[in-house]
Amino acid sequence: MIEVTNLKKEFILSRQQQKELNTKDKTALAVDSISFRCEPGRVFSLLGPNGAGKTTTLRMLSTIFKPTSGSIKIAGIDAIADPQEARKKIGFLTGSTGLYARLTPNELIQYFGDLYGVSKSDLKERKERLYHLLDMNEFQNKRIGKLSTGMKQKVSICRTMIHDPEVVVFDEPTSGLDVITAENIITLIRDCKTQGKTVIFSSHIMSEVDLLCDDMAIIHKGKILFEGTMQDFRSNMQADNLTAEFIRIVHASQNA
Amino acid sequence: MIFTIFKKELKDTLRDRRTLMMMLVIPVLIFPIIMNVFVSISSSYQKEAATKKIKIGMVGAKDNFLYRELNAIPANLGSKEIILYKDTVAMLADLKNDSLQLASYVRADFDQYMDSMKPAPIVFYHNATDMGMQERAEGYMKIIEEKAKQARYKKLGIDEQKVQPIVTEYKNIASDKEMIGKLAGGMLPYIFIAFGFIGCMYPAIDLFTGEKERGTIETLLTTPVARWQILFGKMGVVVLSGLTAATAALFGLFMSIEVLDVVDNKEILEIIHSILSVKFILMLYSLLIPLTVFFAGVMIPIAVYAKSFKEAQSIITPLNIVMVLPAMVGFFPGIELNTVTACIPVVNIVLATKELIAGTLEFGLVALSFSVMLTLAVVAVIVSYKRFDKETNVVM
Repeated sequence: MIEVTNLKKEFILSRQQQKELNTKDKTALAVDSISFRCEPGRVFSLLGPNGAGKTTTLRMLSTIFKPTSGSIKIAGIDAIADPQEARKKIGFLTGSTGLYARLTPNELIQYFGDLYGVSKSDLKERKERLYHLLDMNEFQNKRIGKLSTGMKQKVSICRTMIHDPEVVVFDEPTSGLDVITAENIITLIRDCKTQGKTVIFSSHIMSEVDLLCDDMAIIHKGKILFEGTMQDFRSNMQADNLTAEFIRIVHASQNA
Repeated sequence: MIFTIFKKELKDTLRDRRTLMMMLVIPVLIFPIIMNVFVSISSSYQKEAATKKIKIGMVGAKDNFLYRELNAIPANLGSKEIILYKDTVAMLADLKNDSLQLASYVRADFDQYMDSMKPAPIVFYHNATDMGMQERAEGYMKIIEEKAKQARYKKLGIDEQKVQPIVTEYKNIASDKEMIGKLAGGMLPYIFIAFGFIGCMYPAIDLFTGEKERGTIETLLTTPVARWQILFGKMGVVVLSGLTAATAALFGLFMSIEVLDVVDNKEILEIIHSILSVKFILMLYSLLIPLTVFFAGVMIPIAVYAKSFKEAQSIITPLNIVMVLPAMVGFFPGIELNTVTACIPVVNIVLATKELIAGTLEFGLVALSFSVMLTLAVVAVIVSYKRFDKETNVVM
C-alpha cells in the first residue's frame, strides 16, 4: 500500500539554473500538493507528459528526494520519518537505470541482496527462482558490460525483486527499450500484481497504461488532473480514444 | 554495510584498467624507468666526457710554457691534441664550429712574467654548451699551476708551510643519515603526496561522478543503507587507492635502488637500508593516512558535484598542482619543521617526514602536524558528507 497526502516538492534554483530556465524565481515547484493511494494487488499508473513531475514524485516515494511537505506511507511505514525502514519494502526500477558494468549478474545480485539484508538461504532460493524465470542462468557469470540490452534489463528486474519488496516503483521502465525487451517489464508488472504487491509506474504512453493499470492519475505541472480507476477514466471519456482524452485533459488544464 | 560497499567498490575499482594503471602500474614502473634512463645517460655522458680525446687550439710561441706543460700531462687524465694557431680569430672560429673543444691564448711575453715571478696570464676559451670542457681545462690547469707554484717556492727557497699561516679544518658533526634526511629526505614525501593524490583521483571520479553518469547511484540510494555508510564505503576505497599508488611508487623507487643498483655508494646504501625500518614505515603511514583522507575529502565533494567524468577531471587536475606544489618545500634545505610550518597542511607532512628520516624528530611538532592534518581530514569528510547528502548533487 502507498498513501500519499498533500505531497509537495520545491527545488531551490541556483543562478545557473535560473539562467537556463529564463526565470527570476528562486524556487521551482515540481510537485504541488498531490494526494493518491495505491492498493496492494493493483497497478497504479502516474501518467503525464515530460516534465510533469512523475519522476520527482517517484523519487520521493522511494526516499531519494525529501519532500518539502506532505506525507508518504509505504506499507504502513512513514517514509519521511523512517526512510531506511521504508526502503526495505520498496523495489525501484527506472528505464534509465544503469548497472555496474564491471560486475557479473551474480556479483550484482549478491551485492544488492547484502544491502537489503537478505539471508543466505532466501537469497539462494530467490536467485534460483528469478534466474529460472528470467532465463538468466547462461549469462550469470559474464560481465554485465558485455551483455545485450535485453539481458541487462533482466538483471535489473532480478535486482529489483531480490528482496521480495511489497511495493514496486517503476519509473518509465520501458523507455528506450524495444518491444521484445519491454515485454519482460510488462510480464514483471503483471506478476507483481498477481503476487499481491503494490505497483506504481510512471509513463507518458497511454497505450502502455491502458494495457497494465487498474488505477491511474494524470499529472501535469506538478498537479493531479485526474485520479480514479481505469474504468472511471474510460466511462467519462469526452474524446474518441484514450490518448486523445489524455491530451484533452492536459490542454484543458493549461487553458483553465 | 560499510564493508559490503567497500568490498564491492574495491572489486569494481580493481577491474577498471584506467584506475589500475594509475594506481599500480605507472607508480611501480615510473621510478625504475626514469632512474634507469637517467643513470645510464649520465654515466655514459660522464665516461665520454672524461675519456673523450679533445682538440685544444693554442695561440702562442712555438713550444711555449703551456704547450710543454699540457703535453707533459699523462693521457690517462684525458687524451688531447694541441693545434697551434697564428691568430685567435681563426682559432675561435674553429671553436665555434666544434672543430676545437678548447682554445687557449698564451701571450708572447708569457715567459717574462714567469721569469719575473709575476702572475702569468693564460686565457682559455670554451663553449659552455659543450658540457664538461671548462672542467677539463680546470683539471689540466690545476696540475700545471701546482707544478709552477712548487717550482717558484723552490727557486725562492721558501718552505711551503711557512706561507700558509693558518690551517682551518671543517668538521661535520651531522651523521650521514641526518645529511641524507635533510638534503634528500624531501623526495620521499613528495613522491608519496604526488602519487597519493593521483591514486585518489580516478577512483574518486569513478565511484562518485561515474556512478552518477552511469545512472547506478539512484538504485543504490533506494537500498536501506544510510548515505553516510555509502559515503564511507566508497571513501575507504578512494583512500586505499591513494595509499596503494603511493606505496607502489615507493616500492618502485626501492626496487630501482636495490635491483638496478642506481646507488653505487655502499655507505649511502647502508644508510638507506637503516632508514627503511619498520618503525619508520609505521610512523610515515601514520602521518600520511590523514593526508590521504584529506585528499579524498577534497576530491569527493567535487566528484559529487560534477555532472560528468570530464567535468570532474577538469576541476581536480588543476587542484593537483595546488596540493602537490607545497610538497616541493621539502626540496629546500633551509626550511624546517616548527610551530608555524607544522600548521601548514601538506608542508607539515613533508617536513615531518624529513625530520623522521634524519632522526631529528620532535614529538610535539609531529603531534601538532598530525593533529592539523587529522582536523582537516575530519572537516573534509564532513564537507563530503554534506555534499553527498544534498539530493540534487547526487541525482542528475
